Amino acid sequence: MTKPTQIEQFNVQAVNKGGAKKLFAATKKIYPKRVEGKFRQLKWLIMTVTLAIYYITPWLRWDRGEFAPDQAVLVDLANRRFYFFFIEIWPQEFFYVAGLLIMAGIGLFLITSVWGRAWCGYTCPQTVWVDLFLVIERAIEGDRNARIKLDKAPMSFTKLRLKATKHFVWLLVAISTGGAWIFYFADAPSLFVSFFKFEAPFVAYSTVGILTATTYIFGGFMREQVCTYMCPWPRIQAAMLDEESLVVTYNDYRGEPRTAHRKKHANDDAPQVPMGDCIDCNKCVVVCPMGIDIRDGQQLECITCALCIDACDSVMEKVGKPTGLISYATLKEYNDAAAGKPVENSVPILFRPRTLIYSAIWCLVGLSMLFVLATRSRLDVNVLHDRNPLIVKLSDGSIRNGYTVKILNMEPKRHTAFFSFKGLPKGYMRIEQEGAKLIKNGERYQLTLEPDVLRELKIYVTMPRSFLPQSDQSFKFVAEIPASEEHHETPAKFHVKKY
Amino acid sequence: MNHSTIEKNGSILLVLSLLVVTIGGIVEIAPLFYLENTIEKVKGMRPYSPLELMGQNIYKREGCALCHSQMIRPFKDEVERYGHYSLAAESMYDFPFLWGSKRTGPDLARVGGRYSDEWHREHLKAPRNLVPESVMPGYPFLMQPLKVHDIKAHLKANKFLGVPYTKEQIDNAAVDLVSQANPDSDGAEDVEARYPKAVVRDFDGKPETLTEMDALIAYLQVLGTLVDFSTYDAKANLR
Amino acid sequence: MTKRPIDEITGTETTGHEWDGIRELDTPMPRWWLITFYLTIAWSIVYCVLYPAIPLINTNTQGTLGYSSRGELTKSLEKAREAQTGLREKIKSSSLAAIIADPQLFSFAKAGGKAAFKVNCVQCHGSGAEGSVGNPNLNDDDWLWGGKLEDIHLTIKHGARYEQDDDTRLSDMPAFGKDELLDKTQIEQVADYVLSLSKGSADASSSGAKIFAEQCASCHGETGAGDRSVGAPALNDQIWLYGGDKKTVIESIHNSRKAVMPAWAHRLDVETIKQLAIYVHSLGGGEK
Repeated sequence: MTKPTQIEQFNVQAVNKGGAKKLFAATKKIYPKRVEGKFRQLKWLIMTVTLAIYYITPWLRWDRGEFAPDQAVLVDLANRRFYFFFIEIWPQEFFYVAGLLIMAGIGLFLITSVWGRAWCGYTCPQTVWVDLFLVIERAIEGDRNARIKLDKAPMSFTKLRLKATKHFVWLLVAISTGGAWIFYFADAPSLFVSFFKFEAPFVAYSTVGILTATTYIFGGFMREQVCTYMCPWPRIQAAMLDEESLVVTYNDYRGEPRTAHRKKHANDDAPQVPMGDCIDCNKCVVVCPMGIDIRDGQQLECITCALCIDACDSVMEKVGKPTGLISYATLKEYNDAAAGKPVENSVPILFRPRTLIYSAIWCLVGLSMLFVLATRSRLDVNVLHDRNPLIVKLSDGSIRNGYTVKILNMEPKRHTAFFSFKGLPKGYMRIEQEGAKLIKNGERYQLTLEPDVLRELKIYVTMPRSFLPQSDQSFKFVAEIPASEEHHETPAKFHVKKY
Repeated sequence: MNHSTIEKNGSILLVLSLLVVTIGGIVEIAPLFYLENTIEKVKGMRPYSPLELMGQNIYKREGCALCHSQMIRPFKDEVERYGHYSLAAESMYDFPFLWGSKRTGPDLARVGGRYSDEWHREHLKAPRNLVPESVMPGYPFLMQPLKVHDIKAHLKANKFLGVPYTKEQIDNAAVDLVSQANPDSDGAEDVEARYPKAVVRDFDGKPETLTEMDALIAYLQVLGTLVDFSTYDAKANLR
Repeated sequence: MTKRPIDEITGTETTGHEWDGIRELDTPMPRWWLITFYLTIAWSIVYCVLYPAIPLINTNTQGTLGYSSRGELTKSLEKAREAQTGLREKIKSSSLAAIIADPQLFSFAKAGGKAAFKVNCVQCHGSGAEGSVGNPNLNDDDWLWGGKLEDIHLTIKHGARYEQDDDTRLSDMPAFGKDELLDKTQIEQVADYVLSLSKGSADASSSGAKIFAEQCASCHGETGAGDRSVGAPALNDQIWLYGGDKKTVIESIHNSRKAVMPAWAHRLDVETIKQLAIYVHSLGGGEK
């Protein structure tokens, strides 16, 4: 038997131990201890990637020609446009964003049904930023014990210096977090310059201010409370977990009964007290950023960050026991193992009705959006008939109707378009903006459409007296762009009856 | 006094409860006695003429207020679209008020005089004939004769609620009702005299019958036209 | 204050009331909730000081910020107007032709004209400028005094038959019946002839034609094409200001029509009148 030496024992109780919590009592601060291991490695990696995406994205460029901004991802609120690499979205196409949000929601369900709360543990911004804030805290104030000691110590110059440094760095992180956000809404390089020259619009500064405050407060102070009290996801989660959900599990059938003072027992010649693998070192408790004791079982607070797995594995290695006393396992696996049945490898069952349904919905939404996106028209024509007066009788007895036609060229390119109307033989139209030219039924009139703008035309359609239809007549306005093969027919009505 | 003393002593509990409810009641009810203060002093507001009143009844009956508000809020966009913001004075003779809370259709507080009678008539009958994108239902049945049981009683009831109808107005209600839709009638001038700014026209294009259409259009055409804004003191009525 | 009993099981205070051995727990509020609650109370006090809040007998507390929603509206309207000053000034100093040549000025003038029209002109000409009996439709191509931009501008500025303005458009058709220039039969004959002009079936040898040539042609022209310099309407077209039935035409000849349009030069500022002219000209009937 390997000599179990140098295992640090922590005489602590979990801050958020079930039943011990009082909502009206002041929150007890959690001092998570640093831990090494494969899940910690994975978290470092994901943290680096997600933070990089967040900070770098607005600086990416994407050439869209001379009539549109070259920022790859840009929410242009002032001009009511959303640019995402090769996609440009107008406000009326906002349903794409709604579709994306639906996909995000369903995707979260899907991930949950396969990997449990992987989102919470690894990629949620709250988790990522709290991790970042903790790294800073550790670097300045030291690890768990040092921090506890510092907080208990009376105010001194050293304490003040350490605290001030920590909050200063935190604020820097918070400001750069809030600062990065605004670059998604304007041309990043030019906003960067004007921001520091204090020439940026007020809303830029207020947004940075608000986001700085929330980042600083959520990441530095509220931390796990955001997950436990503010976020609805844990509650939804609780309803969504099933026997097949992967959760961080303490395998108590192996660990119990816990034996803290193993050495003493080992040397006893007395009849052996049953001993579990858990040596009750409480390392899983002190590393937990949520302040829970995973050995109490699955809990609402647990974000499945798996740091306790890393902690426990390191201890198990030292005491020479197999790792995995705390592991990712489904309830089913746990039950099987507890009952002594063979357990299949801890691979989430991908092909269950639940996951299949979620995947199907997710794909359906995604594919239909892709389809709509691929076939969407970049030319739109709206026709508004004049309401007042509905018809105008001209001196020669012919009848004239007025229309406001709005032609949207949604592409950032200048286009040559052809505009005509059909369905009113002998009728003719005049486009006010284009002068006095009379355009006959079916005749195509060439127009220039400026890039990425709406062109409004006032159009008068006249039917000569001798060819007046008996009743109101339906016809069509036709807009065509030969270059992009756009062809748009908009129904309209010609009124002859005086109401 | 101790909490448990109050709880265990019925009479004291009753007296103290009454006291609490009285305070709450005064806070809630007392301002209503000064409601008049919130109504701007304006020139031009008059009670609805009998025909307009019947039109308003149809407006209520058909639930127009469910889709159309009559309340132009003091915001730039609304004022630019609909006209001067609505004053409290303009709905002081409405029982109940018809401010509405939802605009499926446009606000109607100042629709008076904005469109022609013909437009209203055709639009009410078949809205999509005139506004293709409209979702408003058609009301062709409004061309039926207007049924009025006792217009005098109607005016009296309104007077009871605080609408200052004069005796002359109440006595002539039945004549005024018919005359307003018939500019050639003898009573037409009297309507204009009794109800300044009243529109006296054949609203529905059917001079021989007094229809619900007459009443509704007469009502619509008077909406928001009464207050004389040239004498309205905006500075004194800032709120 | 006496210390209240603590419940053994939960460890929280009870209210001290006891009903048949059952005691009521008095669990305190969650801290975050209490803090939020106190913050809202604090904010309500600040709000009551800053904004209009408490009803008094005749008015209400006004608040130190001097806020009122109607006041805010006035401010935002003033701001919008201020933003337009540059364009208004430009319109004031530019010629009509220059305004319509500049797309920005043109669209501003049209929008401004439309707004001014809604306030000043709709009472007679209708909200869509569609006109009514005696008030010309401004959408069509039939103009009494000319449909060129300058003509329209002049008409708006000085009005028609508006006595207070010396430069007003003036036309004076005799009341042929009332002043006994023509007798009843003659009026009927000439009315028939006028109506036939419009229908394109005029008979030059009819007695109406003779009367027309003598009495009417000097202003309305020999073919009834009208004369815009004297405001005589065209009689050979399909548009009738007062109605194209015989009765109405007879009435027009008998009594003459003398509708008045007010002059706006002394009521509206220069730029508004220019905007109005541009708007009316843009309604579809404007002549180049």
